[in-house]
Amino acid sequence: MSVYFRSSGVFELGLAGILLVTILLICTTEGLNSDGQHLLELKNGLHDEFNHLQNWKSTDQTPCSWTGVSCTSDYEPVVWSLDLSSKNLSGTLSPSIGGLVNLRYFDLSYNEIKGDIPKEIGNCSLLQYFCLNDNQLSGEIPAELGKLSFLERLNICNNQISGSLPEELGRLSSLVEFVAYTNRLTGPLPRSIKNLKNLKTIRAGQNQISGSIPAEISGCRSLKLLGLAQNKIGGELPKELGMLGNLTELILWENQISGFIPKELGNCTNLETLALYANALAGPIPIEIVNLKFLKKLYLYRNGLNGTIPREIGNLSMATEIDFSENFLTGEIPTEFSKIKGLRLLYIFQNQLTGVIPNELSILRNMIKLDLSINYLTGPIPFGFQYLTEMVQLQLFGNSLSGGIPQGLGLYSKLWVVDFSDNNLTGRIPPHLCRHSNLILLNLDSNRLYGNIPTGVLNCQTLVQLRLVGNKFTGGFPSELCKLVNLSAIELNQNRFTGPVPPEIGNCRRLQRLHIANNYFTSELPKELGNLSQLVTFNASSNLLTGKIPPEVVNCKMLQRLDLSHNSFSDALPDELGTLLQLELLRLSENNLSGNIPLALGNLSHLTELQMGGNSFSGRIPPTLGLLSSLQIAMNLSYNNLTGSIPPELGNLNLLEFLLLNNNHLTGDIPKTFENLSSLLGCNFSYNDLTGSLPSVSLFQNMAISSFLGNKGLCGGPLGDCSGDPSSDPQKNTDAPRGRIITIVASVVGGVSLILIIVILYLMRRPTETASAIHEKENPYSESDIYFPLKDGFTFQDLSKSMSAVAGSYGYIAPEYAYTMKVTEKCDIYSYGVVLLELLTGKTPVQPLDQGGDLVTWARHYVRDHSLTIGILDDRLDLEDQSTIAHMISVLKIALLCTSMSPLDRPSMREVVLMLIESNEREGNLTLSSTYDFPLKDDISRK
Amino acid sequence: MASCAVLHLLVLVLPSIMLALTDANLEGDALYSLRRAVKDPGHVLQSWDPNLVDPCTWFHVTCDGDNRVTRLDLGNANLSGSLVPELGKLIRLQYLELYMNELVGPIPKELGNLKSLVSLDLYDNNLTGTIPASLSKLSNLKFLRLNGNRLTGRIPRELTKLESLKIIDVSNNDLCGTIPTSGSFSKFTEESFVNNSRLEGPELMGFVRYDAAGSCK
Repeated sequence: MSVYFRSSGVFELGLAGILLVTILLICTTEGLNSDGQHLLELKNGLHDEFNHLQNWKSTDQTPCSWTGVSCTSDYEPVVWSLDLSSKNLSGTLSPSIGGLVNLRYFDLSYNEIKGDIPKEIGNCSLLQYFCLNDNQLSGEIPAELGKLSFLERLNICNNQISGSLPEELGRLSSLVEFVAYTNRLTGPLPRSIKNLKNLKTIRAGQNQISGSIPAEISGCRSLKLLGLAQNKIGGELPKELGMLGNLTELILWENQISGFIPKELGNCTNLETLALYANALAGPIPIEIVNLKFLKKLYLYRNGLNGTIPREIGNLSMATEIDFSENFLTGEIPTEFSKIKGLRLLYIFQNQLTGVIPNELSILRNMIKLDLSINYLTGPIPFGFQYLTEMVQLQLFGNSLSGGIPQGLGLYSKLWVVDFSDNNLTGRIPPHLCRHSNLILLNLDSNRLYGNIPTGVLNCQTLVQLRLVGNKFTGGFPSELCKLVNLSAIELNQNRFTGPVPPEIGNCRRLQRLHIANNYFTSELPKELGNLSQLVTFNASSNLLTGKIPPEVVNCKMLQRLDLSHNSFSDALPDELGTLLQLELLRLSENNLSGNIPLALGNLSHLTELQMGGNSFSGRIPPTLGLLSSLQIAMNLSYNNLTGSIPPELGNLNLLEFLLLNNNHLTGDIPKTFENLSSLLGCNFSYNDLTGSLPSVSLFQNMAISSFLGNKGLCGGPLGDCSGDPSSDPQKNTDAPRGRIITIVASVVGGVSLILIIVILYLMRRPTETASAIHEKENPYSESDIYFPLKDGFTFQDLSKSMSAVAGSYGYIAPEYAYTMKVTEKCDIYSYGVVLLELLTGKTPVQPLDQGGDLVTWARHYVRDHSLTIGILDDRLDLEDQSTIAHMISVLKIALLCTSMSPLDRPSMREVVLMLIESNEREGNLTLSSTYDFPLKDDISRK
Repeated sequence: MASCAVLHLLVLVLPSIMLALTDANLEGDALYSLRRAVKDPGHVLQSWDPNLVDPCTWFHVTCDGDNRVTRLDLGNANLSGSLVPELGKLIRLQYLELYMNELVGPIPKELGNLKSLVSLDLYDNNLTGTIPASLSKLSNLKFLRLNGNRLTGRIPRELTKLESLKIIDVSNNDLCGTIPTSGSFSKFTEESFVNNSRLEGPELMGFVRYDAAGSCK
């Protein structure tokens, strides 16, 4: 009795004429048998968008002719089968299904049914086949399902069913197949599973089933397939699995199973697939595994397995795929692999394998994919690999393979991926790698290969990535590459390529990565670069490129990283550079670029790093650079000819960590807004014409003094009080370095060996690590603690050469040591004097014999011939300031005293320190630390 | 090595949506889980191909010389969706820049495993839940910017252990309780904590118990 008819009956009540019709209708409905009525109720719960069930009519006596319904052929037919799969049905499954007590076959798969599985299904006690897969059912599996003692096949996969598997499942004694993958099932497998003696298939992957696999699983003695991949199963594998003699597939990957692989698995002699990868298994691969004589696929990768690969592996004569990758396997690759004639895939990458790649692998004629990467393999690539006709993917990267690449590689096989990067391979690229036009990836990075890129590779139409970084390849930029329409990456960094980048580069329309840094490419970049509309990273740094940066580069709208640093690009930057809105890195440092910094650079809202140091940019710093809200790594505008004041807008760069504006001609003060540069880790304003007080926040007050040297009139913080003339207060000027000097003095007075002093001195001259990382080689000494005003053109490397000698070597040793062989404090004083002489004269301790043989003698001769004049001082130092010279000369006297021939004439270290301090005070405006930081005062007022 | 899993999966029954899981290294997998967890209408993650050996050629990813991920630059990238615990596997990561997106859900506690992290920038998203105390394990952390989210709960007192911390900004959230004042927190000003209507003032050492219910009821 359908709701529809009942309600229409009520509606028509009182309308006598129609009443009769209504009664007739009701009578007809009552004529439909009860199965039919249950089905109509079922239909009512469903939404049948395409009217597949339109012939389900209440006017029929039986539902036996309805779509999807099958009846018995008895005198009183009953519904035994209902097949509604793939009927685009939505809605819910009505509890009326429980009324179909004769139902044996029910298939509702591939619809869009929502809601719970009604517990009334338990009433369909004859049900044998029950399929609800591929719907949107939720709720839990009803325990009443356990009443279906005839159920053979239960499929609920691809739904959103939650809850745990009910213990009652164990009562489904006829169950043969249980399929429940891709749901939201939780909890452990029920122990009652042991009762399912007929169960052949369990597939419940992609759920959140937890707990360990119960030992009771051994009761499922018919089990052929156990699939529980991608769950949260933990614990150890029960050894009882070995009792499942019929098991052909054991699929447990991506769980959290730990412990050893039980050797009892070797008893599952019918096993064909063993997939235990991506778990936490440990211990060795059990040797018993080789008893699995029907095993075809063995996947144990991504575990914590250790030990060696058993030599008996060769017994797995039926195997086609073996993957032991991403474990901790040691030892050598067993030659016995070569006995597995049908092997098509062998992956053992990312282990700790040693030894050579066995030549015997070359007889595996069926091999399609071989990956032995990331191990400690040595020796050559077996010559025979070139004859493996089926080989498609050959990856051996990240080993220590040596020798040449077999030159016939690719002649006989349709290679698809070749990756030999990070080895010690020598020789040339095999010419026929792409003979069969299949090659997609060729990666030979970081080897010692040389020669040209062979024509066969350059004409490889299928090639997507060509990576040859870090070899010794020669020749010009291969313009043939530009004809390869699929090419998305050309990486040629760190080779010996020469000549210009040809205009044909513009044909590589798919190119995303173009890396040609650290080569010898010359002349101008072609304007056709602008055709590379897909280009995302372009690195041409450290070449010999000249001319303008082609304005067309601004058509590469996808560019995220542009590095043209360390070339000889000249002229102005294209204004439109500011339209490359995706730019994250822009490195233009160390070129000859000039003109103004384009205002529009301020539009680069994704920019994290801006490197423009070491050019000839002039004009003002555009205030728009303060809009670079993502700027984080660094803004480096140092070593240019920038003028004007520092725009206060830069104070908005609140992510910025390094700001380098040194060595320009900037005037005015450091804007107060810089107090907001809260992320700043380092800055450099030195060698400008800045004035005024430093921002009052601790960030600036605590910054090393070297960040501010060489300006007109900066004061505050480490530079001393702003109240008076900043240049007249040496004591306060030098708070920061004083600490360092006191440390040295303390070390000295404490009798610590001279070597320590030298080390400290040396460290003082080294740029800090952070700074050098930021600057690279652009301005190596600007961030360092070197306070010598160097002439242009000299680098830190030049300076440090004179410091490379070791105390105790010839030139440093006091003369009496030759007779006494005794090291005294006076010997140390002598050596210390030599170090001072080195610092002052810039000469090495060992001098040509005609100059006296050593620095002390040379200095004595010089003083004898020229008296103590300026000519003795290092000519790389800035010697314009008289007070500097006076101080250096006074230190020179101390040095000469220290290097007196007689130890008795030499002062003690304590006296030396006192003399140094006195020398400071005598010079008045010099600093305590000036022994090491001579022209500090000079720096402040240099310009 | 890259595509072996494809083969495995073809062999192994389970449905095709899992084709995405491949053998790229763990860091690639970790980043790829992020890709799967977010909506990316601007296709900024298009280059994130899980079949590659490592994620170093993926755009917005920076690696060190050992091909380990050091930076993730996805600020202002129009991403929505949630963060994933797998990010905690990027143990050389120094900069996690995911600011100014529309990310929702909690900050995974696993981010506390990023032992190299210098900067954690999750500001201006719609993140909810509490600030994980596990962040106190980030001994190299200098910048912690979580402002402009909908974070609740207390400011974990454990964060005062972060000795390198230079900036903390948790302003504009819905935090409660008191503001820790010890350790590295002694140098932070009120500005770091403003606009948390339930956040009480600095904790008064010895007077108010830090974990007294207070505004966190």
